Amino acid sequence: MTGSGSVTTRASAPRARQRAAGALLSALTLVGVSACSVAGADPIGEGPGTLRIVLPEEPPTLEPCDASLTATGRVTRANITEALTERDPSTGRLEPALAVKWARASATSWTFTIREGVTFHDGSPFTAAAAAFSIKRATDSAIDCNVDGYIFSDSEVTATAVDDATLEVRTAEPDPILPLRLSFVEMVPTSTDPGSRVREPIGTGPYRVDEWSQGRFLRLKRYADYWGETPEFAAAKYVWRAEGSVRAAMVTNGEADVAIGLAPEDGAGDRAVEFTTNEVSYLRIDATEAPLDDIRIRRAINYAIDREGLVTAVFSGRPSGQLVSKGVTGYNPRIRPWPYDPERAKELVAQARADGVPTGTTITLIGRNGIYPKAAEAMEVVQDGLLKAGLKVEIKMLDVNAWLEYLLRPFPNGKGPTLLQAQHGNQAGDAAFTMGQIYGSEGAQSSYGTPALDAAIEKAQLASDDQRQKAFAEAFAQQNDEVVRDAVMANMTGILALSPDIRYRPDSATNDEMRLADMRRAD
Amino acid sequence: MFIMLRRRAVSSVIPLLVVVLGVFFLARLTGDPANLYLPLSATPEMRAEFAARNGFDQPLVSQFGDYVAQVARLDFGESLRTAQPAGEAALRAFPATLQLAGWTMLLAIMGAVVIGSLAAYRPNSATDRIASFLSSTAASVPDFWFAIMGVLVFAVTLGWLPTSGTNGATAWVLPVATLLIRPFGVLVQVVRGAMVSALSAPYVKVARSKGASEGRVVFGHALRNAAAPVLTVAGDLAVGLVNGAVVVETIFGWPGIGKLMIDSVLQRDFAVLQAAVLVTALVIFALNILVDICHALLDPRVRLRAAA
Repeated sequence: MTGSGSVTTRASAPRARQRAAGALLSALTLVGVSACSVAGADPIGEGPGTLRIVLPEEPPTLEPCDASLTATGRVTRANITEALTERDPSTGRLEPALAVKWARASATSWTFTIREGVTFHDGSPFTAAAAAFSIKRATDSAIDCNVDGYIFSDSEVTATAVDDATLEVRTAEPDPILPLRLSFVEMVPTSTDPGSRVREPIGTGPYRVDEWSQGRFLRLKRYADYWGETPEFAAAKYVWRAEGSVRAAMVTNGEADVAIGLAPEDGAGDRAVEFTTNEVSYLRIDATEAPLDDIRIRRAINYAIDREGLVTAVFSGRPSGQLVSKGVTGYNPRIRPWPYDPERAKELVAQARADGVPTGTTITLIGRNGIYPKAAEAMEVVQDGLLKAGLKVEIKMLDVNAWLEYLLRPFPNGKGPTLLQAQHGNQAGDAAFTMGQIYGSEGAQSSYGTPALDAAIEKAQLASDDQRQKAFAEAFAQQNDEVVRDAVMANMTGILALSPDIRYRPDSATNDEMRLADMRRAD
Repeated sequence: MFIMLRRRAVSSVIPLLVVVLGVFFLARLTGDPANLYLPLSATPEMRAEFAARNGFDQPLVSQFGDYVAQVARLDFGESLRTAQPAGEAALRAFPATLQLAGWTMLLAIMGAVVIGSLAAYRPNSATDRIASFLSSTAASVPDFWFAIMGVLVFAVTLGWLPTSGTNGATAWVLPVATLLIRPFGVLVQVVRGAMVSALSAPYVKVARSKGASEGRVVFGHALRNAAAPVLTVAGDLAVGLVNGAVVVETIFGWPGIGKLMIDSVLQRDFAVLQAAVLVTALVIFALNILVDICHALLDPRVRLRAAA
């Protein structure tokens, strides 16, 4: 056996070597050819008329009815598609967009006058019928539209085209902020598939989708027949890099004009532009469990947090005392951030202990990695303050989905007393999108409420105009003085990097809506 | 040879099944994706509808049965995140990783053979010491540090290379260099070790005594015999690369399978995760067979053992 085997081997050895060499050569060729195909997929050298933007992630889709999702909305909203109304983030006022005016016809019905001369990117005219179709598609379809859950929740809306220029929208319950809600419903033509998500939508916006090479880039081109002012750049090219320091380096290296979602340590240097966002960081206090069910402990937690220290040394922002930022209906300018007073915190804990409150019970501080820059360090600063006040605190850092189990009802069984690291951004501009779900007894993100606060929220939700502002501001004050269900920390600052050739002023809405038309060449 | 391949194929099917089962059930232990995909204010009815639409309301075993039936029809389901077919997403991302891994392994093996052989030719010489020092450094450099420093030095400071992306040939330099450094370091050491023992073997003395040239002695006789351990280690390293060069793909924005897998775990995008893992497992399976074939071509004893 062995002998014949070795004979075979000798005879076939040179052939085997030839074969191996051949295989190697073909592998080389294959790798080489395919390398060219990857390199060639991304055209080199966009002209000077193209604005280059680097995002932290690729948009999952550009579906207009998911425009309340940050990753989708910042590309789609006001660039590709538009809504009937739009909110000015600096004044908080609602401005006309695809509707020129609107009026409340009765408690449960509104009439909108549609802008004339507007066309979709496919050339078809924008009419009241398209508006009615878009509202129905976003609020009553099988695609789990994010806008539906975020803006309308379980309220029912019926839109009807009276004629080409008039749209009537009815709601089951009186809704004083319906026009604001509709600023989130992007208009699409009736040819859009009502039963599934579209990746590349047709809209009325100043830019249309030109090419989306998945995983690599997305290019938009200026829409020649846009109804409004022509934007300066003929095209915009989006790319995405997960690493913040690489995004910043792309702008300093001249590979991109705008990079968003940066942290102070990403090294954007003098290209960095800071702006106040609508995000507010806070700790939710689970007031149903001892010792957190005692208001003195909840106040002590607020006094024990060094907010100035956090915004100076850990993340960037401005200390804040309420969950909404200036410009949102319901913002209460009289609520100040809680002062840092470790002595007062200690006293309050000692008083509670003397009254038999079990202050030695371990409180779990549940954090979420990456919720904002240096999230874990922030929780260590908070823990340190609480330990010094005389409380027993352990930190548990989780990933998003595990953390969501604690954020949303129903909460995990036997979780014990918890403090939850959270952040809230009211991008809609009305406290109704904050109060009910976060402070209402039955709210999706609420672990505690009081009947008095519920009544105050209910009253504010039905009010309009100045009454509404006043009622929500009072509800915030009530929560801050009498309920103390959370420890609000800071109104967070965002950072983007901007090429010196570009002029752009970011505002509190920039994270959710980045208008290409607002970006211009520096003179 | 065919007997060996058949045995190898049969023994690889079991790990493949374990991987598919494990990924399916472990992914579902990590929580309900409805929380991630629905707005925070979604009502319980919306959550129930979401679960029903995606089949998450069914018992796990029946979900698995549906999945297996789908895969048998080459349907990998739809991505929760992008609403696109999951199989397409995996197949689109995989070539980018494969090309990166292909170039990296090719350059690492070629470089390691030359430098490792030079080092082994005169053990303890200056060349050997420098090669050993550099290769052990290379094998221990953390790749994320190397990548970020590469961007800082070669893109930002010197401006020679782009920071990231897939745009043009220069964009390949930093990702390949980052991926290359560790396998290169490891392989130089393996080649050196194997060559040192091969060069001191009796057949080398015989070859030299017959008057064979040094080139023929080193590359024709010693290297051929030293190739088997190098191939084994290189195969392992290649499997690691094909598994997804997550750090490189994340930092350089390379649209590969590693980033896709990590993102789908974080996003609880089960269909894409399953498709990506299955595609990768199949390629690793093929790669292992390829390594076995190469072994058999290099070493007749492997073929004989298999045939016996």
